[in-house]
Amino acid sequence: MSLLEVEGLDKHFGGLYAVRDVSFSVAKGEIVGILGPNGAGKTTLYNLLTGFIAADRGRITFDGRDLRGLLPHRIARLGISRTFQLCRPFVGMTVLENVIVGALGTAGKNRAGLDSRARALLTSVGLAGKEQLAVDVLSYGDQRRLEIARALAAQPSLLLLDEPFAGLGSSEIADLATLIRRVHAEQGLTVMLIEHKLREFMRLVQRVIVLDFGEVIAHGTPDEVVRHPKVIEAYVGRGNEGFVERNDAA
Amino acid sequence: MVGKKLNLAGATVFVAFMALLPLVFDSRYLIGVLTVSAIYGIWAVSWDFMSGLTGRENFGHSLFIGVGAYTAGFLNTLLGVSGWWSLPAAMVVAVLFALLIGLPTLRLRGPYFALAMLSGAVIMQRLMLIFWEHTGGEEGIHGIEPLIRSQLVFYYFVLGTLVAVTALLLALARSHWGLVLRAIRGDEATCQAAGLNVTFYKIASLLISAACAGAGGAIYAHYQLQVSPQLFAVVTSITIITMVYVGGMASIYGPVGGAILLVLLTELLRNFGEWRLMIYSCALILILFFLPNGLIAPTWQRIRARLGRRR
Repeated sequence: MSLLEVEGLDKHFGGLYAVRDVSFSVAKGEIVGILGPNGAGKTTLYNLLTGFIAADRGRITFDGRDLRGLLPHRIARLGISRTFQLCRPFVGMTVLENVIVGALGTAGKNRAGLDSRARALLTSVGLAGKEQLAVDVLSYGDQRRLEIARALAAQPSLLLLDEPFAGLGSSEIADLATLIRRVHAEQGLTVMLIEHKLREFMRLVQRVIVLDFGEVIAHGTPDEVVRHPKVIEAYVGRGNEGFVERNDAA
Repeated sequence: MVGKKLNLAGATVFVAFMALLPLVFDSRYLIGVLTVSAIYGIWAVSWDFMSGLTGRENFGHSLFIGVGAYTAGFLNTLLGVSGWWSLPAAMVVAVLFALLIGLPTLRLRGPYFALAMLSGAVIMQRLMLIFWEHTGGEEGIHGIEPLIRSQLVFYYFVLGTLVAVTALLLALARSHWGLVLRAIRGDEATCQAAGLNVTFYKIASLLISAACAGAGGAIYAHYQLQVSPQLFAVVTSITIITMVYVGGMASIYGPVGGAILLVLLTELLRNFGEWRLMIYSCALILILFFLPNGLIAPTWQRIRARLGRRR
């Protein structure tokens, strides 16, 4: 059964279509990757899904509910959690407080075990022992982990990650990928992922949606997608296919 | 928690000191100065709760103070309503003004809220002059009855109000509510993505802040026994913001100290005549330059740390 259903989504800024006639669906428990060159509309798509900007046309259905006109915090309470492309920790607060804030919006009246739940989350993302640190002193990799812990604190059923590997070294990327796999496996979480670091990305996701100039140009398993002529064209231009085959973009 | 006990002990010592001071030096002048400083304390704490925590600077806190004071003045002189009724009425009117400005501007990002507050205060000051037949114009409203006849008892009432307001706002600031407000200061979008209705939190905090400031305004009206359009002046708001900075932004208790310190400083410098403003401004510049986190709150944290270690 599909958890997220997107039909004919349009968003343009002035004359430029950031997202154009995008349709796809995501099944419960999937890990779906969103791929595309810079400016392809990936982050705009996330902003549409989470209500940060309103679509011009089209329909987004999440868990059987139409998301049209809902404000971001309402959509978050329905179970869509996101991270941002740039780490945005709450400066001036401790690591633990950051995660507690992540849980407050969706916890409702049930605020009893927040503290211990936040601590457990921090342990599970590998930040045990750093609960009382100020977020400013965390390394970039740890800030990424914190972002994920905070997003998970809202107990989402769909997690949208926006370039979680950006700015990380290869060992940190491997650790973070393991973490994403684990929360996916343990909690049956549905995950969508925007990423440019293709090697780890292609191993992690089960299905890929490729955007270019706001439109879905390809759709399929990682293997199918990297061999798709339109994808190759979008990334390296027409007539350079040989270059891709030799280097193997995946 | 050792820290909590020390905080409580520190607060007790402070309140006892403030309460005993007029008993030791029996002077009407001193009681007057202490009363004014406690009223400024109420205003500074209420500013800090909204603006210090969320980072949405309010440049027109005098609007809430002014409408609170005028409400009390009108009710008391025109309708003969007792001060004990005009106090809650002033809070209600201040909250209405907060809704009027907060509802449209706090859902926006950018400087709109700060500018709307600033112009709101300026407009109200103008209106008081334009409709002078009803408001008394430059002269304002005279002949307001005192809330309590005894000057000393009135001072204790104001001090008690200050303690109650500070305790309430401090408790809120240290709760999950305060955590959300500080997170809003950090990043609104992330708060929204976590399912928090940031507009609600900002507006509700402004209403609480306005209610306290309005009550302070009414108390001030019943202390001065008159109100004038000067209350709406931008200078009033700037003075309050300075008190918060000196006290320590977002600490809630710091601004109480900041208010008392600056009111006392103003009084001490009266003897210097013309030089007063110069010395006052220099002192402020030095404090803000060398102590960007303020003077009162960081000092208390240092004292507390030292006391805690000694145990």
